[in-house]
Amino acid sequence: MQFSSESVETLVEQFSRLPGIGRKTARRLAAFVLKQPKSDVVEMAEALIAVKEKVIFCSTCFNVADHDPCPVCLSDRRDGGVICVVEEASDLMAVERTGGFSGKYHVLGGAISPLDGIGPEDLKIKELIARVAAPGDGPVVREVILAVNPSVEGDTTAYYISQLLAPFEVQVTRLARGIPIGSDLEFTDEATLTRALEARVSV
Amino acid sequence: MIIDRIHIRGLRAHNDSTVTFDAGVNAIVGPNGVGKTNILEAIHMLCLSRSFLTSKDNVILRRGSSLMEIEGHFTKDAGGSQKVRLAFVPGEGKKLFVGGSPLERMTDLVGRFPVVVFSPDDQRLTAEGPEFRRRFMDNIISQSSPVYLDNLLRYRQVLKQRNELLHASRRARRTPDEMVLESLTRELVMPGAAIIADRMAFIEAFAKHLDDAHQKISEVAEKPGIAYAPFGRAGIPEADIDSEDGSFPKGGITIPNESREQRARREKRVFELYADQLERNRRHEIARGMTLYGPHRHELDLTLDGHPVRRFASQGQHRTYGMALKLAQYDYMQHRREERPLLLLDDVFDNLDPARIEAFLAILGSDAIGQSITTAARREIVHNHLDPSACRTIFVARGGEVLEDETSIEKVPPKATAPREEPASPLADSLTND
Ligand SMILES: [Zn+2]
Repeated sequence: MQFSSESVETLVEQFSRLPGIGRKTARRLAAFVLKQPKSDVVEMAEALIAVKEKVIFCSTCFNVADHDPCPVCLSDRRDGGVICVVEEASDLMAVERTGGFSGKYHVLGGAISPLDGIGPEDLKIKELIARVAAPGDGPVVREVILAVNPSVEGDTTAYYISQLLAPFEVQVTRLARGIPIGSDLEFTDEATLTRALEARVSV
Repeated sequence: MIIDRIHIRGLRAHNDSTVTFDAGVNAIVGPNGVGKTNILEAIHMLCLSRSFLTSKDNVILRRGSSLMEIEGHFTKDAGGSQKVRLAFVPGEGKKLFVGGSPLERMTDLVGRFPVVVFSPDDQRLTAEGPEFRRRFMDNIISQSSPVYLDNLLRYRQVLKQRNELLHASRRARRTPDEMVLESLTRELVMPGAAIIADRMAFIEAFAKHLDDAHQKISEVAEKPGIAYAPFGRAGIPEADIDSEDGSFPKGGITIPNESREQRARREKRVFELYADQLERNRRHEIARGMTLYGPHRHELDLTLDGHPVRRFASQGQHRTYGMALKLAQYDYMQHRREERPLLLLDDVFDNLDPARIEAFLAILGSDAIGQSITTAARREIVHNHLDPSACRTIFVARGGEVLEDETSIEKVPPKATAPREEPASPLADSLTND
């Protein structure tokens, strides 16, 4: 399927630049937009622009927010002694959705990856160390949870940070790896299963 | 394990073909270039998600076709059948289904349907560079232990990152960030040590299988030798570690009679040796701008009566050795998984003398081998040595048409075979970066 209109093709082009969107899906999205009432499309376009104009980064945790500091950093009901370190703001939202974490966060803005030209200086690592070294008015940081992805890049970043944190009296932990809940043991890949077996816990 | 039936659509010569197999010896007969080998490629793709001839799926796609689809029905040795389906659409990639459930990663397939391929390329195993022998090892161990493939993929990804760090720094004439290099080195050594420890354990068990296989097909009494010694010949003393140390082992292959604790200690020792090697050579690696040490560089030494095969063997010795390695692979995998691998033979008989064909077909027909599927340009190659009733013969005519008898095959003069491409590793691309 090829749209004959140039402006539709431009829209397809824009959609296909989004992560995880192939050309086929981009065409489907463009076709959907074509069918929508104009008011809905205006609303969507305004939301896109607002995100760049209004949203700022919290100068403490580097999460996206409307105000600085962000509500999480401001909240005194959350434990400032535990910092959960994530790669992206979307990871923070994933941890937050669990409702099981009541500490504070630190968003790195990515992971170390020479192939992508990303070094430690491109991430908010210095700022994390500073939070641990000089907590200011807040409580002493007792634990740093490295909730980075279990990828080569995430693991490299985790090791890098753990080395920098070694001189401080702070516990550094990683997320456990295991079998995803809701997945069938039979269809869990054997490597994950082996790792999960190794990290088994007593009941 | 056997394959009962395969349905192939949109793969090179095959527009829409169905082939049925017997549990024993199967011969696919027909003139060159009609698509005999494509049937073996299709079977291989169902076992390891890719062809044994190329890693490029676009090359395998039939010209003008917008979809390639392969469906196979397998029966496990313990009974129970399983359907595997692979679909490939250019631009959208491959999808695999086992028993109707989609596989998340192609690599999850490896090891479930064990397969061994014999091809004329096997001579390169002994005659050419170390990357061929590394691929050979990696193929067998990956099919035997899924954790190995996982470590291999992991190692390869860290290697890319580490090489880029070293290379980019060299290009910019500055030293790489010391702590980033240290972090990547540690990430490299973890899967690297597991790979090395697995390879060592594998070779220890494999040597006996190679000895047996070589004896079966060689007419002269020569003794094959196989050695993997990444840190010299002295062997590896165990490391003193607390058995509570949970970071080891990461690999899965143990030396016969080795306990899990011993394995953990051995791997830890390998870890220390490898880490030390990288530490001692750091300046050298920074100067060269690449990773110079590790399993991606290791050699598997093959000898015949103590002489290096690569330099001293004759044409005939190379051929025998290559076949012995593959036969030993079959034997090893069968013992390890208690599942008979599928044996695919691509045009191996065409260049063999009658005595060797005789010896080899005797092995195929024996109880040592389960199902085998071989291609041959002429039916006589198989039928002169094997009772036609003990062998299912499948004929392929021009245009990939699959026939039960040969009456309708056109008599076409054999075409010159197309030059072979670089053999693709049947698994993840090889570790070779040199
Ligand atoms: Zn904040």
